Amino acid sequence: MSDTARRSGRLLRIDLTNRSFRIEPIEPGWLRPVIGGRAANTRRLEEELDPGCDPLGPANPLIFGVGPLTGSLLPASAYFILTAKSPMTGILGDSAAGGQFAAEMRATGFDQIVIAGAADSLCCLVVTEDGIRFVDCPELAGKTVLETTSAVRRALRDPAVEVAAIGPAGENKVLYAAVVSSGNRVNGRTGMGAVMGSKNLKAVAVRGSIPVDVEDPPAFLAESRKIEAAILSHREYEKRRRLGTTMLMTDLNGIGILPTRHFQEGVCRYVDRISGQALAERFKVKNKACFNCNVHCSRYYVAGGREAEGPEFETLCGFTSRLGSDDLAFALEMNERLNQLGMDSLSVSEVLGWIMECQEKGLVRPADLDGLSLAWGDAEGIRRAVDLIAHRRGVGDALADGATRLSRRFGPEAQKLVMQVKGLDLICGDPRGIKAYGLTYAVASRGADHLRAEPYFELTDRRDEALRRFGTEKAALRLEEEGKAALVTWSEKIALLTDSLTMCKNIGLCMDVLQFENAAALLRAGTGVDYSPAYLEKILGEAVNRDRRLNARFGVKKADDTLPARFLEEPLAEGPSRGSVVDLERMVGEYYKLHGWGD
Amino acid sequence: MIRIDAARCTGCRRCEVACAFARSGRVGRGLARIKVVQIYETGIDGPVLCLQCRERSCLRCPDDAISIGALGQVVVSPTACSLCGACEKNCPVGAVEIHRGIVYVCDLCGGRPACVAACTEGAIVFEPETSEVVSLEAHKKESRGLSPAEKRLRFVEGEGRAVRREWERSRV
Repeated sequence: MSDTARRSGRLLRIDLTNRSFRIEPIEPGWLRPVIGGRAANTRRLEEELDPGCDPLGPANPLIFGVGPLTGSLLPASAYFILTAKSPMTGILGDSAAGGQFAAEMRATGFDQIVIAGAADSLCCLVVTEDGIRFVDCPELAGKTVLETTSAVRRALRDPAVEVAAIGPAGENKVLYAAVVSSGNRVNGRTGMGAVMGSKNLKAVAVRGSIPVDVEDPPAFLAESRKIEAAILSHREYEKRRRLGTTMLMTDLNGIGILPTRHFQEGVCRYVDRISGQALAERFKVKNKACFNCNVHCSRYYVAGGREAEGPEFETLCGFTSRLGSDDLAFALEMNERLNQLGMDSLSVSEVLGWIMECQEKGLVRPADLDGLSLAWGDAEGIRRAVDLIAHRRGVGDALADGATRLSRRFGPEAQKLVMQVKGLDLICGDPRGIKAYGLTYAVASRGADHLRAEPYFELTDRRDEALRRFGTEKAALRLEEEGKAALVTWSEKIALLTDSLTMCKNIGLCMDVLQFENAAALLRAGTGVDYSPAYLEKILGEAVNRDRRLNARFGVKKADDTLPARFLEEPLAEGPSRGSVVDLERMVGEYYKLHGWGD
Repeated sequence: MIRIDAARCTGCRRCEVACAFARSGRVGRGLARIKVVQIYETGIDGPVLCLQCRERSCLRCPDDAISIGALGQVVVSPTACSLCGACEKNCPVGAVEIHRGIVYVCDLCGGRPACVAACTEGAIVFEPETSEVVSLEAHKKESRGLSPAEKRLRFVEGEGRAVRREWERSRV
């Protein structure tokens, strides 16, 4: 086996303006230090983007990326990453999704697809290993994701084609529009659907037959089996298999950090009516899974006349407690609706929750919003608003720009109530009771987000392990600030590693399955390239720095690494996180020090 | 035979992956002898493979290249086979498919099927003593002129109807 970098990749460049394409090799030396997936996409963006470009203009490249192990024998490793300058935040944007699309994209033989320019009318892109076709699709205007997926599969007479599509929200350039594949699998965050819509690109269809080769099949099999065994024997396996991420409803409520009425409370009294358990008992009909996953954590549900795959925790919480609703069936209806319209449930929840709180406090009047009046749990109002947003009708046009932009029409008190960092809306987890997450939201390179580090470790009560890994037992205690900078600087590298191997973060990171050691062994057996744990740690550190460098070009400063004032100033009033606020300055200071970053 | 329970299938395709890898050290749908169909509109997933049907439509081979083995499995002689495509065409459910000059059909891995070992959900079950109990006669007519992938879709749609009736009964 070679000890030099020698795995090359294939890049597909699409120019939608001229409807042309070009296939280029990706040099082994370019690929080795970024592995694939997210780190490779970010490098591509840094090299090719004009940072001053309009994110919804033709110059913003939309990058689809997979990695060297995507679609291989390695379980739970078939995510694909979309990367571009975000129209939502104006900084680095990216979003990952599981399902089936990534494995099929890998079978086309392309590691990256870079889509530049803009088509003059609505079109689809069909990508196979034999060539690329541009197909006009005026008849798909306004169609949902599933309608689009079905139409493409029918037109190609191939039910195995995988389709990543936008819904009406993407066509209307809702700034937080999503790209959706496998029917209900969502690249939700940072508005990649709006970028696709700005290019008049309704769908990307992939179909390939290039097998996924590994350099050393027996060694790769052995490493994959170890990972499988670690997953199957994990103490959370059964729970994750039954509930998936919806298990977090009762888990987070139990520690007093379940966002309730727009983060005004962290304990939801009616959690048992909206929990993952309630969902499993009342509406779940089967498990669903991403490509080659042995957890099968996703679910299919039938609720009255509505059925779909999902929801994940963020959508479930976002459309129950976060908006003051105890109506589980309504949340399921919204999950299906948002996926089919193609919108990020978190950003929709934030704009609606922000309006609810501001109207309750008298900071925003219905007259300011074209008569829109929203009270906690107002199902009919939410339904109507969601439809207005997706089609940018009436006041929906303003809401479609997101809570941060909308709030600028109002006073500082109202602006302060937007739960966002760097223009990206907060996920569902109150940082006052999970301090490493608080730090993560503040410093994450795509804005308020947990997935850049996912420091789930602080919820696992492993004190000895904390002492060994991070120098203090307190890193394992969720209410402590001490040791959290060390935890986050470690887990942001593992997070980037999982994203670059295109592995699922629930498994790679939350279940603590992926480390530098086994990742290096997998990459060596998989690619023949000489990866060592130390080398991985080094390049992942460099990749974290690249995110930062790129965001600096977009004008991001240290002062932007912050949290909404509520989490810094207002203690939670009740429950197991009562009295707690985030001492952010201290953690950010330590985090910068560990990185060796100046101000 | 390997029996399918579409109600339990999650669409993970681990069977497909294990099948391809066990035989070739590689992964890809074309290399698998079991293939999963996913119907996103209805939530139905289901693997399709040779069900060792009573009709054995694949045996109508102009080259006489196909025989039935001791486990009831289809055995294709690579030397006798001229890749005429009759078996692919005649299989009513798309369980036989030619890919890059090779006929892919389940041969039960010599009695220890890799797909069954990979399925954690009980959606595929190996019954070594059972063979030729399933009739695919009803699928013959409707499958005419379809590609193997389209035939698999039709078959899984059919399996899915029963699954959905059960869902509707339990989730009224």
